[in-house]
Amino acid sequence: MSAPVWARRRAAAAQGWRRFRTNRGGLFGAAFIALLVAFSLLAPLLIDQDGLDVVSATGGSLEPPSGEYWLGTDESGRSVLLLTLWGARVSLLVGFAATLLSVVVGTLVGVVSAHFGGWISAVLMRITDFFLVLPALVLAAVLMAVLPKSMWTVIMAIGITSWPTTARLVRAQTLAVESRPYIERSKALGGGHTHIIGNHVLPSVLPLVFANTTLVVGGSIIAESTLAFLGMSGPEISWGSMLDRANQSGAVTAGAWWYLLPPGVAIVLVVLSFTLVGRALETVLDPRLKGDR
Amino acid sequence: MTPLLELQDLGVTYRTGEGDLQAVRGVDLTLQPGETLGIAGESGSGKSTVVAGVLRLLPKSATVTGRVLLDGEDVAAMRWGRLRAARWSEASVVFQGAMHALNPVQRVGRQIAEPLRLHTGASATEIDTRVRELLEQVDLPPAKARAYPHELSGGQKQRVMIAMALACDPRLVIADEPTTALDVIVQAQVLDLLGRLVAERGIGLVFITHDLSVLASACSRIAVMYQGRIVETGDAKDVITAPHHEHTRALAAAFPEVGDPASRYAPATSEPLPPEGERDPQQPVLLSARNLRVHFRDRTGTAVAAVDGVDLDVQRDEIVALVGQSGSGKTTLARTLLGLQQPTSGEVHHDGRPVPASASGLRDYRRHVQLVLQDPSSALNPRHTVYESVAEGPRIHRLGGNERDIVVAALEAAELRPAERYLTRLPHELSGGQRQRVVIAGALALNPSVLVADEPVASLDASVRGEILGLLLRLRRQLGLAALVITHDLGLAWNIADRVAVMFRGELVEVGPVEQVLLEPHHEYTKKLLAALPSPGPDDARYAG
Repeated sequence: MSAPVWARRRAAAAQGWRRFRTNRGGLFGAAFIALLVAFSLLAPLLIDQDGLDVVSATGGSLEPPSGEYWLGTDESGRSVLLLTLWGARVSLLVGFAATLLSVVVGTLVGVVSAHFGGWISAVLMRITDFFLVLPALVLAAVLMAVLPKSMWTVIMAIGITSWPTTARLVRAQTLAVESRPYIERSKALGGGHTHIIGNHVLPSVLPLVFANTTLVVGGSIIAESTLAFLGMSGPEISWGSMLDRANQSGAVTAGAWWYLLPPGVAIVLVVLSFTLVGRALETVLDPRLKGDR
Repeated sequence: MTPLLELQDLGVTYRTGEGDLQAVRGVDLTLQPGETLGIAGESGSGKSTVVAGVLRLLPKSATVTGRVLLDGEDVAAMRWGRLRAARWSEASVVFQGAMHALNPVQRVGRQIAEPLRLHTGASATEIDTRVRELLEQVDLPPAKARAYPHELSGGQKQRVMIAMALACDPRLVIADEPTTALDVIVQAQVLDLLGRLVAERGIGLVFITHDLSVLASACSRIAVMYQGRIVETGDAKDVITAPHHEHTRALAAAFPEVGDPASRYAPATSEPLPPEGERDPQQPVLLSARNLRVHFRDRTGTAVAAVDGVDLDVQRDEIVALVGQSGSGKTTLARTLLGLQQPTSGEVHHDGRPVPASASGLRDYRRHVQLVLQDPSSALNPRHTVYESVAEGPRIHRLGGNERDIVVAALEAAELRPAERYLTRLPHELSGGQRQRVVIAGALALNPSVLVADEPVASLDASVRGEILGLLLRLRRQLGLAALVITHDLGLAWNIADRVAVMFRGELVEVGPVEQVLLEPHHEYTKKLLAALPSPGPDDARYAG
């Protein structure tokens, strides 16, 4: 690639950022996510992990918020604040990893199916349809029952059930791009499949995929919380599993709101942030959307 | 008598992000009943804005000054209800691009009836009768009312549009590029129909196009617009034969008259053409098709022969024009020659060898035979700079040497000078003609021996058309580059081609030197094509009007 190409891409990125900046919701979401990601990465250094251990926990059972425990304690006497902060790690990791899986598979299937067409497309689309109509939660529950219970199984279960929508989206966009005459010109110049996909299709499909990705992250975090709340998760502390334990330990009947609210509010905030960023990115990519929303 | 339409000092200004844009300034026009007024001009000259101004169809960002009098009544002063009644029942518009102006999911009969239902209180049976009447008026069988737009040909759709425009017996019809997307024979039919309606019913017709020769045969008066102003107006014959304004001259020259020796091998180009060198009549044949057949299956599974047994040779140092109506199989033939479409039977030879079918063999073949597409604005990836677009071919074929030098040389050969100025531009920053030059440069970068150009100037403005044709002719004269130019435009063939092949329903019905085929046609179809050309001949009966 030559220098002007990069200069142009930098200019395009700068312009995109300028447009993104005008969207306050998106800016708020991006700031919140950045803060949370930074904190999650640094958490092992900042948090004393003894406080997360049931054996070494010092507090009493289900203590209300106090000067020592700002958000009270859980049934084993651990600080809810600490648990919530630590839970962000798993929730974010699952969200990002499942999204990566779903987006990679979805983009691959979508592009290949649209580009080659014919029987390849027919087969891939029937597979996509199959996964599209499967009830996601039930499939994930079955996978969790069959496979060893761990965070990675959760990631796989969410990834497998969420790629079909991405595949459909990418396929539609690829078909639209491939009907353009410049693809015909590229073929006439001698361009093969890799050339056309790499030089023409992906650059125009990827921005859309990227905007879609941020929305998928939010969805994945919700899915993880749901599965964990239903008892299908690894041993790691996540917001979903906190809610599950709160539910099982009778926090609801005990009126221990401090145990239920923090993980719930955290889920809402993170998902909201991702959605805001996703919407803002869509507006950046397609300014026509701006006026209507 | 009150004129049907009177524009007094009409001006339209669009508010845009980059400041105000004066699309139309100081336009004065009058139209009497039974008169046909042609407005000619290139894209961006403001002619479509004038039309939209007449019926107040302009977007909110437009400011209108001056007066539009419809039958003596000021359009700007009309109340909303009055305006709605005026639209269609007094003045109606035939929009350009019949393909897109019809609703694809409604039967055309229903669409023709729509203005009737909106503007008259007629009963269902009355409307039905009226629709049948209208279809007969535009020479369509009434049974077509039950057809969907996709079941009609381009010409039939255009006639449906005209029927819609006539539905409420308007006194004024405005036709905005009604024939641009049509081929010559259908265009002749549509023009004839419009002419007859004007004569029989005494309506006023405003006819807008960029093709001066169409106006010459259809209109009694012509106004030429350029950059929002009317630069010349007068009797149709005078404007065509003795244009005063420079721009009118350019427009007139862009559409040469077949048979006029002055325009033979002389497209309207500003740069001088190199003189014709010694031409060896025995040039090697570069590209040839032998008994080529391409069959498609339609929805019902019946085989349709798009190309039906074609034999065609293209020699070095010659331009062959492939002419024919839309749907005659021209584009399929070109795609097959390029290996973009597999032939059902028959062979394509390049340089004496059959074109390989393997992927790598085809890739090598494409270094030698290159394609120039019809619409340059969609033939270039909007995200790629000129440099990347031109370098695409050399990169695919891993050509040795300095990539930048190859690109600059190709741009220079396509007459984009100085090439350095264009390298970092994006397609949307270029004009239509410049884009087409970039497409041609992209082909030239591979140093091909044959160019296949599919309607290379059909979507370009008249003044650019001559320049691109001049470029093709110069490339032939300077490099001996052979070209197969696909076109529906016989004037183009007359301008630059050495030989003409006439295609009709998948077959070549007549092949021969330009002079022979166009001046002494043998086949009936060729004669029909030539007869359909709009000609401003002095004996033309339509001039009487």
